[in-house]
This record gives sequence, C-alpha cells and structure tokens, in this order.
Amino acid sequence: MSGEGWRQERKTLLATLGPPLFWLSLFFLVPLAVVWAYSFGRNVGLTEIEISGTFANYAQAIQPLYLGIFFKSMLMAAACTVICLIAGFPVALAITFAPDKAKAWLLLAVMLPFWTNLLIRTYALIAVLRNEGYINLTLGWVWKQVGLVLNVPPFVPLEMLHNNPAVLFGLVYVHLPFMVLPLYAALDRLDRSLIEASLDLGAGHFRTMMLVVVPLALPGILSGVLITFIPALGAYLTPDLLGGPDSQMIANVIERQFKRANDWPFGAALSFLLLYLTFVMVAVQALIQRRRGAR
Amino acid sequence: MSLRSEHSRRSILAGMGIAAVGLTFGLEGCSKEKTAVAGGEEAKLNFYTWDTYIGKTTLSDFRTKTGIDVNMSLFATNDELFAKLKAGNPGFDVIVPSNEFVQRMSQADMLMPLDHAKIPNFKNVEPAFVNPEFDPGRKWSMPYTWLVLGIGYRKSKVQGVPDSWKFLFDSDQYKGRIALLSESADVMRLGARYLGHSVNGLDQATIDQVTAMLIKQKPNIKAFHEDNGQDMLLAGDVDLVLEYNGDIAQIMTEDPDIDFVVPKEGSLLNSDCLCIPKGAPRPNNAHAFINFLLDGKVGAEIAETISYPTPNAAARALMPDSYRNNPVIFPSGVGFDKSEFGKFEGAAQQSAFETAMTKIRAA
Amino acid sequence: MSRPADDDGVLASEIADAQLGPAEVSAAIATARPRRNTPGPLDYLQRWPLRLWLVIVGLFLYVPLITLMAFSFNDSKRNIVWRGFTTDWYVKALTDSSLLEAFGNSLSIAALSTIVSVILGALAAVALWRFDFRSKAAFEGAMAMPIVIPEICMGVAMLVFFARIMPWPQDLIWPFNLGPIVIAHISFSFPFVAVVVRARLASFDRAQEEAARDLGATDAQAFRDVLIPHLKPSLIAGALLAFTLSLDDFVITFFTAGPDTITFPVKVYSMVRFSVTPEVNAASTLLIVLTVLLTVVALRFQNPKEVAGA
Repeated sequence: MSGEGWRQERKTLLATLGPPLFWLSLFFLVPLAVVWAYSFGRNVGLTEIEISGTFANYAQAIQPLYLGIFFKSMLMAAACTVICLIAGFPVALAITFAPDKAKAWLLLAVMLPFWTNLLIRTYALIAVLRNEGYINLTLGWVWKQVGLVLNVPPFVPLEMLHNNPAVLFGLVYVHLPFMVLPLYAALDRLDRSLIEASLDLGAGHFRTMMLVVVPLALPGILSGVLITFIPALGAYLTPDLLGGPDSQMIANVIERQFKRANDWPFGAALSFLLLYLTFVMVAVQALIQRRRGAR
Repeated sequence: MSLRSEHSRRSILAGMGIAAVGLTFGLEGCSKEKTAVAGGEEAKLNFYTWDTYIGKTTLSDFRTKTGIDVNMSLFATNDELFAKLKAGNPGFDVIVPSNEFVQRMSQADMLMPLDHAKIPNFKNVEPAFVNPEFDPGRKWSMPYTWLVLGIGYRKSKVQGVPDSWKFLFDSDQYKGRIALLSESADVMRLGARYLGHSVNGLDQATIDQVTAMLIKQKPNIKAFHEDNGQDMLLAGDVDLVLEYNGDIAQIMTEDPDIDFVVPKEGSLLNSDCLCIPKGAPRPNNAHAFINFLLDGKVGAEIAETISYPTPNAAARALMPDSYRNNPVIFPSGVGFDKSEFGKFEGAAQQSAFETAMTKIRAA
Repeated sequence: MSRPADDDGVLASEIADAQLGPAEVSAAIATARPRRNTPGPLDYLQRWPLRLWLVIVGLFLYVPLITLMAFSFNDSKRNIVWRGFTTDWYVKALTDSSLLEAFGNSLSIAALSTIVSVILGALAAVALWRFDFRSKAAFEGAMAMPIVIPEICMGVAMLVFFARIMPWPQDLIWPFNLGPIVIAHISFSFPFVAVVVRARLASFDRAQEEAARDLGATDAQAFRDVLIPHLKPSLIAGALLAFTLSLDDFVITFFTAGPDTITFPVKVYSMVRFSVTPEVNAASTLLIVLTVLLTVVALRFQNPKEVAGA
C-alpha cells in the first residue's frame, strides 16, 4: 500500500469494510454470542438455561463417543470434497472455455438441479437408487436381455441405499455446485497465452493442466474446498435419509440435541467445538495462501 | 416469555437490544389494518399443525360459520414445535402437540388452561380420552387423533404374522429387511417392553440393556427411518417397519400385500391434542375453533380425509363401516390392550434416551 | 460479452463491448498481451474426454431431477409406482393458495437476500484483499463463522435474537413481515459470496488499477471501471450461490418464520410426514420453471449483450 493519500485510503477502507462489518456484528455475532453463552450454561427446568460458566458441556462433547463421530464426519466430508473437486474441475474448465454466450446457460445448467428443495432432491435420489429404483430396473432389464442369449443367474438388485457409500453419493450430489462455482470464478478469463505457451513448448495437455492451470486456479480450489468441505461436514439430511443404521454424522447429533433432547447447552457446545476446529483449518488455509503470496 | 435467564445476562441482552429497538420501532407503522369482530378479537386465527391433518373443507366451513379466517402453518415433529415456542410464542393461537409434549409443555408453563365452558363439544369425546393420565381433567388439551405403534409388514415376504417385537429387536430372521423409527424415546421404551419392563420409568440399567440388545441387532437393521417407514415398506426397500397404524392404514389402500400388527408384548399409544399456547393473541377464537373441531360432523370429515383413528365418538358413529371397523385403524387384541401412553419423565430421561441412541448408531 | 473469433479484433471489440471508461482503456492497453484465439488446442469443449465427462456429470445431476419431474405427472398418491399420466397435481398445486404464497415468499426472500449478499460479500472481499488493518485476521475468522456454524445452531441463535433481543413486530404488511428471514439469509449467504469473490481477486493485476489511478481516476472510478468488470464472473457465481442457499434453506427459515410467513421449504418439510406426494413434485417443477424464467428475463433485461456474464 502506498503511503500517499492515506486519508482517501481510510475512507475507502471504511466504505468497503463498514457495511459488512456492521451486518456481521449485529445480525450474526450478537445472536451467536447468546448461543455461545449457552454452551457454558446448564438446563434449569424445561425452558430455562442458566449461564453458570460451566465447562461440563465441553467435557461431555470431547468424550470418545462424540469425537469418534466427529472424526467419521470429517472423513466423509473430506471424501466428498475430493470427489467434488475431481468431478467439478473439468466442468468448471469447460464453462471457462465455452463460448461466452453459452457460459450463462452452462452455469444455469449446473445450478438448476439445486433450485429444487434439498429434501425433494434427496427423495428423488432415493427413487433412483432404491432396490426397485430406476438404476436397478434398468440393470434388471439389461440382465434379462443378456439372459436371452447367455445362461446367467437371476438378477439380484444392487443394494445402493442405506449405507455409507449412498451417503457419500448424496453428499457429492448436494455439494457439487459449491465446488464448481468458485473454480469457475477463479478460472474464468485466465490468461490463455500461458496455456498456449506451455503447449507450444511441448508439454502435453495433462501436464499443462497440472503445471499451469491448477496452480493458477489454486485460490479457487482452496475456496472451493473450504465451502464444500464445511457444509458437507454440517450435512444432516443426507445421512438421515440415505444412510444406514450407522451413518450418523455430527450434524445429526447436534440437531437431535437442539430438538429431541432439548439440551441446548450441549448442542451449543458441540456446535462450537466444530467452530473452533474450523478456525484452525481456516488459519491453515490463510497460512498457505500467504506463503503463496497470493493476495 | 418463558426463556428466562440470569439478571446479569438479561442486562447484557437489554443493552444489545437498544440498537435493535430503534430499528423495529419504525416498522410498527407498517402493520396491517386490523378488523375487529365481536368479542374484541380480530377475525383471524393462527393454527400450527401437522400437514394433511385437517379435512378438505374444515377451515372454509369454520370461516363460513364464524367469519374467522384460519391461517394454517405446519411443523413436522413435536421437537420442532417445542423448540420454536421455547423462546416465546410468536403468535400462534392453536397448536397440536402429542400427549408427551402436552405434558412437557404444561410443565414448562407454555400452555394456557382451557375453559371447558367454551368447549361444549367435549361431550363428544370417547370416555377413554376424557381423563387421560397425561392431562388429568383435560386441563390443557383436547384430543384430536390417536395412534398406536406396531409392525407394518409385507405379507408375502414374512412368515405368518410377526406379532412380537422380537422380529425387530432381537432376531436375524429378517436380516437387512428391517427399518426402525429413529425416535429414541419410542425405540428405547419398546425395547424395554420387549424385555419385560414397562414403557415408563426406565432406569439406566434397563436403558443399557436395550442399548446392548440393539447394538447386537444393528447388523440386521437396514435403516432408522424418519417416520417415512411406510414409504420404504411400499417401495420394497424393507419388509418390516416400526410405524404408526394410521400411516400403514394409508398405504394398505394402495398395496393389499401390506398389513399391520400390534405385537403381543404391548405397545405405545400416542395422541395428538389441541392446545392453546401461552401468549396466544386470540384465545376466544382459539376456543371457538377447538370446539368446532370436536363437532361430530366436522370430526367425521377430518377422519375421512386423514384416515387416522379419531377419539371423537360422535364422529366415529358418522363414519362408514370400512373406517369404523377397520382392524388397522382401530386395532384390538392382546397387544393393543397392553399398550400405554408414554409419560414425559423429565429432561434428564430424554437426554439419556438420546445418548443411548447416539451410542447405538455410532457402535 | 460476445467476442468475435478473428484475432485482430479481440482487443478492440473487448473495449467496445465493455463500454470502458478512458481509465480502463489505457489500463487495458497497458497490460494487454498479444493474444491468439485460434480454435485449435484450447477448444477443450471439442475434445471427447471432457465431453464424456460433462455427459456423465450431466446425467448425475439430471437423472434424479427428471424422475422428479416425471413423477409429478404420476396418477398415484405416491412417488413409487407409475400408475398413469395426469396433470391433476399441477391443478392442485396451482389452486393451493398457501403453496402459492409460499412460492412468492421464497422467491422474494431469495431475491432480496441475493442482492444484499452480493453487495456485502463483494465489499468484504475487497476490503480483505486490499487493506491490511488491525484485527484483519479476526474479521476473516468472523466471516468464516456463518459458513461453519451448523444450521440448527444458527437457527436457534436467530430464534432467540428475534424473540428477545430484537423483537420483530407481528402482522406487518408484505414484505416487512419477511424481515427476520431475509436478515438471517443475508447473514449466512454473504460470507459465501465473499469467499468466491476473494478467490477471483487473487488473479487481479494491481497494475491495472494503478495505471487507472495514474491517469487520474479516483478510487471510486477505478473500483467501478476496472475492478468490477474483473470481478463480474465471481459476482455472478456468488449471486447464484446466495440465491440457491436462500431458496433451499429450511432450518434457519423455520426458526425465523412467523405464523404469517411460510416459505416453500418450510411447507415442503412439513408436508413429507405423510411421505412425498406428486403434488410436492409438481410444485417443485413449477418452482424450477418459474426460477429459470425469472433468471432468463433478468439476464435479458439487464443487457442482451451481457447474457454471458463474462
């Protein structure tokens, strides 16, 4: 930052920082502060919470039972993020290189499935995946045609629902646009001459991707990873509806504390544990970014 | 407002609220014009209920009769209803909690006592529902529907009638073909019942015993469902589900291969009730509406639409035989006779159920 | 922006298309590198592996959606077995006044929340990118919180906030009755926008802005004429994200909605206790069609040339 005209700079800083800071403080931090206070409180009767400054809720939250669920949820979210990145990167690239006129439509096409309700979308996935769902019906039909020619055993429907892979499938389905959009935003209008230079110099397309495009897209990848991983970690509906008896994720446990168990202090403690954990991750991300000198 | 807290925190909240008051103050000018009717209340009612839980013309009939406009909002679980009202009533006049939550909310001072003089149609209620244990003397609630949990099953895939909880909780005969309700309290209570205890007053040892049994049973369970067990059964995902009789009765009309049984050990009864939450802006309209819903003809119209069992004797008498004597809607037999209402036994018990369920799922 | 294919015309047409101010013209000239747009090696869309991948992802995204739409015509109360064609569910959905009201509310909330979120998110991203200020890290952390915090926790926070700290008057006229929901939606949407915009800013060449300023542009001018055009893809991506998040949110909306303000997701979530009926499918199909139409109209209305938004 140049030293000259700092007064103007200061005005600009206020103009850009002021509104979001005001909004965040009044309409997010204040409400959240109340729940944060609850995490140090205890239930008195059915509706009252006394802020007693206790750490009992946190002590309960770091029991092996809940830490295990945390860990499992992180694995699921991480797997979901990796798959989204692999599936979404070529899509973002395709949108980037599409003719300008087609871009808006491609973006729209990526987002369109997400303008139906999450619950309805999940039910639609169930209809596709279930034992008598469309995939199994199609496979069964193909199997039958094969059976006309060859001698094959009768078709056994694939069990694609109510297990952990189904949850992962559902998570990817739900979170793909969270990856595609930031990737596209970072990649769009990237300097094509760099790619051409790389190709001209004899690097293959794959090498060019890995050595030129990926580094250029790194800020987008990082932000995509951030806003895919974290919401995936907070998923509760997908494991509830697609999962089997052991497919609970941490958000399910948190949700049940706030609702069924009516234990807001403990629910708050679990939530904030998730928050503290993410702060660490955000800090790490910031560190990586700073080291790359990207600003 | 029921969410009281310490003085120190209240003053902080008040301080934070000062800025906010300025913002909301200006909004008061944007209020709708209120049309008052006789009785000093505007001709409006905010009704908070479950979806498809009312007759096709019930609300418009009420409007024709009284001029009161019913605005219906929906919730999906009792927990949601409770959480939503916990910090104060945002303006609802009539709500429909289940028996356990009637007890819970009355204990939490969240309900307004009913004025029986304004509800003459209370005489239509079946004797069994006039003085239930969860609300002695019907001080807080009027019965709207009732239900019983049992096993919905696909006849062609199950040998005989699965008339014991054993098939769900303690047997690998139908491995991978079972779905249980994910409601922790229901599962724990029924598990205890199977093990020979009452559905009420479970001690920690019993809870641990049920937990161990279900962890052992888990490999045989396909899923814990979110009260959509009837869908899973109909679609062929599973062959046995823990569900309510009303839900199974609905799908039996679509698939004759499905049936329902209340296991011989006995089960849990459930009754959704009409209540007026504390702070309701229009209690007179609310009483009028509750009285209207308990009318025989109105009750029959509701029962016809939702095909749930009705606790309204006058309404049941008006229904056709296919409903009145339907063995699934109105079960009978040894299991049903042994069924009881689940009591609300305090927050600690609820937490214990929840922890047990989390353990089962994490195991 | 449409870009002609001929090589020489690129820069000129780009300048014309973008309706650049004098500052940016010079800036663009200062930083422009000679560029070829030959359709050969860079037309990744023409290559079969990428095409195949797009088809697979497309199927993945659309097969469930198409089944959902197909079953909205199913002549059965349930979504499981096909029982014949009917449009009754559409009639039912379209005559269900509470459903239509929920539609209207959801779209209004999403539109209002998107506009404010994009503005706040972009401002926050620019502030974080451009300035080093004390407690910048704290602000960054605070901005990440709405993304991180479990929905239910934020829902409860908002419930308590609007019940006790900033009571919202009841019975307000539209759209003021939607206030709490819109406020809550903005709070959880705009950090998402900020994340996306910030990623885009990383590729911004400060030389352009400095060049503009050297040529006498003020901060505001440089912001408007140089920075905003560069940010446009991320603003659009951010707006899409914010819109989608708002349209789909159930938990936080549930806790902030009053008796008069039912939204589509809240309606749907309570409707599935008795399982998903084709009416819900029909309603979702209508919502998709309506949203797409509105988006297309908005894009056209904005500027036919800028439909591409790039």
